[in-house]
Amino acid sequence: MRSALKEPPAKKVNARIRILLAGLLAWAVLLAGRLVQLQVFGHAAAQAEVLEQSRSKSDIFPERGTIFDRTGQILARSIPARSLFLTPVKGESAEAQRSKVRALNKALGLGEEETRRLLVRIRQAEPFLYLRRKVSPETAAAVESLKLPGVHSHPDTMRFYPNGPLAAHILGGVGIDDTGLAGVEYSYNQPLQGKKGQAIILKDARRREYYFETLAAALPGKDIALTIDATLQYIAERELAKAVEASQANWGTVIVSHPGSGEILAMASSPTYNPNAFSSAGADVQFNRAIQLTYEPGSTFKIVTASAALAHHAVGLRETFDCSRDDLGFPGKPIRDHKPFGILTFPEVVIHSSNRGMAQVGRRVGQASLYDMAAAFGFGRKSGIDLAGEAAGRLQPLSAWSRRTLPALSTGYEVATTPLQVLQAINAVANRGALIPPRIVNNIFDPAQPLKRRPPTVALQVLPPEIAITMAGILEEAVEEGTGRQARLDGYRIAGKTGTTQKWDPVLKAYSERKHIASFVGFAPADNPVLSVIVVLDEPKGTATYGGDVAAPVFREIVRKALLKLGIFPVTAPAKGLITASVWNEARR
Amino acid sequence: MIRKKIPRRQIILGLAVCVLTLLILTFYLRHLTETARLGLVQRDLDIRLSRLRDEVKALEAKKAALLSLSRVEKVAREDLHMAEPQPGQIIYEGGGESNK
Repeated sequence: MRSALKEPPAKKVNARIRILLAGLLAWAVLLAGRLVQLQVFGHAAAQAEVLEQSRSKSDIFPERGTIFDRTGQILARSIPARSLFLTPVKGESAEAQRSKVRALNKALGLGEEETRRLLVRIRQAEPFLYLRRKVSPETAAAVESLKLPGVHSHPDTMRFYPNGPLAAHILGGVGIDDTGLAGVEYSYNQPLQGKKGQAIILKDARRREYYFETLAAALPGKDIALTIDATLQYIAERELAKAVEASQANWGTVIVSHPGSGEILAMASSPTYNPNAFSSAGADVQFNRAIQLTYEPGSTFKIVTASAALAHHAVGLRETFDCSRDDLGFPGKPIRDHKPFGILTFPEVVIHSSNRGMAQVGRRVGQASLYDMAAAFGFGRKSGIDLAGEAAGRLQPLSAWSRRTLPALSTGYEVATTPLQVLQAINAVANRGALIPPRIVNNIFDPAQPLKRRPPTVALQVLPPEIAITMAGILEEAVEEGTGRQARLDGYRIAGKTGTTQKWDPVLKAYSERKHIASFVGFAPADNPVLSVIVVLDEPKGTATYGGDVAAPVFREIVRKALLKLGIFPVTAPAKGLITASVWNEARR
Repeated sequence: MIRKKIPRRQIILGLAVCVLTLLILTFYLRHLTETARLGLVQRDLDIRLSRLRDEVKALEAKKAALLSLSRVEKVAREDLHMAEPQPGQIIYEGGGESNK
C-alpha cells in the first residue's frame, strides 16, 4: 500500500527530470551548435574582429637622411616635429565646438577662412582630421596644454634647411609626406628616405594601447655629402643677386666647378626661393636655370670653333683674316661685329671675339668637323649631372643644316645649350682636353657598406693636350687684352671668354637688337686651374649689356673671393692699392 | 592506528629539499623580476637616448641656422656695422714664397 502510494510521484519526478535534462541537452546542443557556427565556420571573421579590436599595425616612418656640403655643413636635415589632428567627440555641443575652434585659432593663428572650414569639418564628425602638419614640438605642447577634447598629436619629422634659400635649386625640396620633389631631394629620394618599418600595438577592452612591439625596424635614410662648398655657394648667390639687381636682368645663373674633377662647387639661380616653403614657391623660381634652361651661347661657343680649327689644323696661329668686309659669301644678312675690325690673326679673332673672323674660321673647319667637335664637347646631349630635369639642349644633325648654319654655329647661334654644357666645354680646355662629366654628389654614407667608394670618373679626351694648352693661352689673352678685360684680377692669371647673344624675337621672327643674354665663362688660375665659373644674365638693362661689361665683373668678384677662400693668393705683385704680407709661422721653421 | 615513525634523516632531507626548492624558486622569481625591471630601465633609457639623439640633431640644425652665412653677414653689417674692405685695406696673410 505504501509503495503503491509512493510510485506515481517518483515516476512523475523522473519524467520531469528527463524533460528538464532533455531541455538542457537541447540547449547545450543549440549552444554547441552556435559555438561551432561562430568558432568553426565563422572563425576567420571572428578572429579578424578580435584582432581589429585588440591590436593594430602601424607604420614606422624612417628618418630622412641629412644632406651635407663638402665641408660637413648641414644643408638639409629632418628634425623632430609633431602633427596635430582632431577626432570627433561624442555628444559635443555646437557651442563647445565653436569654443574649441576659437581656442585653436588663437593658438595656431589659423585665419578666418581656415577657421570656418575647420568648424564645418568638425560638425561633419570626420573620423580623423589633420589640424596642422609638422609643427614644432613646442607649438604642439602649447596646443595640447589647452586640453581641448578631441585634439591630439602624433610624432612626425620636418625637413629643415638651416641656411634658408642657400643652394635652393640644388637641394630642391620635399612634399608634405617628406618625398623629394626637386633637386637632390628628388634625384636621391630613394637612399635619402630609407625604408618604412612596422609595429604592432595591443589594446585593452577600452582600446587603450598597452603594448608596442616593433615587427620590422625602420631603416633610416642615408646621409649624402654634396660637392658643393656652402661658402662658395654663398659667394656665388650673393654676387649673382647683386648683378641681377644692378643690371635689372630678368634672371641670372652662376655655376662654379673644379675643372679637374668635374665637381660642382656652387650653382646659383636667380630668382630663388626658400626650400623651407617649397610648396608655396612658384614654378618660375623653382626652375634651375643652370641645367634646365637652354639658350644660344653666342661667343662663348667660339671656344669650340677655335678648338676645332686648331685640332683639325684648319688655321695657323699666325694666319690672318679680313674682318672689315661684311660680304663674306654667306647667305642671308651680313655678319656684323660689335665694333669695326681690320685684319686680325687667328688668336686675335678669338681675343676680340670677331664674328666675321670666326665665321671664316668656321668655313675653314667645315661642317662635319665643327659638328663632330661640338658633339665631342657634349653639346646636344645631357651632361649626366646627378640632378633631375637636366635639359639636353639641341645640336642640329648635319642633315638639318642650312647654308646659314655653319657661320651661325661658328659664332654660337643655331645651337641650344645649357650653362652647364658651356662650362663643361671650357673645363675640357682647362683640363688639357679631358672632358669630365660634372657631378654634385660626393658621397652617400651607407652604414652597411662604410668602405664602399665612388668609382673614379672616366674622362674623355676631346682635344689633344697641346691644343688645349694653346687654347688656354688664347683665352688668357682674351682676358688680358680682349673683350674679357673686366674679368682681370690683379695677381692671378685668368682665362675666359665673353658672350653676348641677341635673343630671338618670336614676334618679329628675327634676332632682337635690344634683348641680349650676357655671359662670361672662364677659369683660374690659367696655368693650374682650380676654379671654373660661368655667369649668365638675361636681358641686362641700361648702357652696359655686353657679356664683357655685365657678366665678366661678376666672374671676377666670385673668383677673387673664392680663390682667397681656397687659400690661393696672388702669384704676382698686385697693382696699386693692395698690400700683401707673408706671415712666417715660427712653428713652421 | 600505528603511526610509522619517519626517520629523522628523511625529515631533514625533505626539509632540505623544500628549502632548496624555495630557494631556487625565490632565486628564479628574483631573476625574473630583476630581468623585467632591467628591461624596463633599458627601455626607458632607450627612449631617453632616442629623445636626446633627436634633440642633438635639432640643436645641430639650429646651430647651422645660427651660423648660416646670410645671418652672419646680416649681424656683421647691421649690428656690428662692419663694411667690405677697400682694395687698399686688404692684407693677404700666409701667402706663399711668391708674396714675400
